[in-house]
Amino acid sequence: MSENWVRACAVGDVDKEDVIEVTLLGRKIAVYRDKVGEFFATEATCTHEHVSLCGGLVVGDVIECPKHNGRFNYKTGVALRAPVIHDLETYPAKRHGDDVFVAL
Amino acid sequence: MANLDESRFGTRDAFGVYQPKEPIKYAPISDWPPRPGAVWRWLVGWPGFVLPWHLLYTCIAVATWLWLTPPIATMADFSTGWILTILARNYVLVVVYYGLWHGRLYLQKAQGTATKYNARFPEGKNDSFLWNNQLLDNLTFALASGVPIMTAYEVLGHWLYANGLAPMVQITSLGGLVWVGVLLLTVPFWTEVHFYVVHRLIHWPPLYRAVHHLHHRNVNPTPWSGISMHPIEHLLYFSVILGACLIPAHPIVMLAIIMRSGLGPGHGHAGFEQMATPGGGIAAVGDFPHYLHHKYFEVNYANELIPLDRWFGSFHDGSEAADARLHARMKRKAGRGRTGKAN
Repeated sequence: MSENWVRACAVGDVDKEDVIEVTLLGRKIAVYRDKVGEFFATEATCTHEHVSLCGGLVVGDVIECPKHNGRFNYKTGVALRAPVIHDLETYPAKRHGDDVFVAL
Repeated sequence: MANLDESRFGTRDAFGVYQPKEPIKYAPISDWPPRPGAVWRWLVGWPGFVLPWHLLYTCIAVATWLWLTPPIATMADFSTGWILTILARNYVLVVVYYGLWHGRLYLQKAQGTATKYNARFPEGKNDSFLWNNQLLDNLTFALASGVPIMTAYEVLGHWLYANGLAPMVQITSLGGLVWVGVLLLTVPFWTEVHFYVVHRLIHWPPLYRAVHHLHHRNVNPTPWSGISMHPIEHLLYFSVILGACLIPAHPIVMLAIIMRSGLGPGHGHAGFEQMATPGGGIAAVGDFPHYLHHKYFEVNYANELIPLDRWFGSFHDGSEAADARLHARMKRKAGRGRTGKAN
């Protein structure tokens, strides 16, 4: 395993179509699990205001910010709907055994 | 819980966002070519120009003048007696009116989230707000700043009338009565223009950060959010009251402005499209354009009476196409060097 891969959480920590926030190397990271069980990671803070996305809803490939309902595709980071206009930074994520790793 | 089938009036997406079926439209008075039939239906229909809100606030204004306002002769001097009477009356009006809205929709939760634009009720604890609580925050700014400042304008208006410094029309003559009736019908127009101008002003980034941001923290507004503003915003917003002192008018006109601007934000921020009434009926109470303003910031600064937002390019009718246009516009602005973040 490459040295920039950091363990983020256990597989069971994230339900399908859900997100959790973890702190890795001092950075707040959102870890997502889509409906088929694949993992993804983005920065955890909305690019619009300083709010954690992890209180938001995940539906399909989209995370909705709980504050102003801005939406991002969490797989690509693309900002989909106002008021968010800046994309999220994304990070590679993968499952290894019972753990989820994120590359920072 | 009251039975209200929200699918009759709109749709809710997978994220729980409720959207009325019909796109937002302006009052038909601005349609071209003119549509007299539509204008007539708008004038007398429900919801329309007169019913329910304009008639309600006008009736409250008339009743307040007749029974809840000291005789004008006593208001020629700034004495504490009549000033405190008006302050107390305004506190009672605001607490009862906003309390009824909040009590039914947010405490009693009489219809759950049926037709609520945001499917969630505000969180009990939220550190974005004073006292870490949206309701306590809203109550504080509404009651400690809003009502006193609104009252101060009213007191000044009565004092101007009582001293002959504001031209007062006598409603004992037919001509005066007709003139005051005409003015009462026009109140929604000038309050809307004033609101638009003030609103654009306080969205100027330095004023937004210093003043208006306080109101916009209410991204999931409740009735009390409507009158929860920074004191400077209250000063600007309620300055419309003195408009009635600049032309030949009557204190009833001033009171109609006060009721519209002081009580109107209650239903404007209720956050529901329809309300199940205690008698088993359903009333259209929503202000979706203003809800979109709270959500997107840069749209719908005015209401739907005069197409100010359409003329100045900030209209959002609630459709996906309008969403896409707004997103593209914001991205273009960000590309020209602005942050794109809520200021």
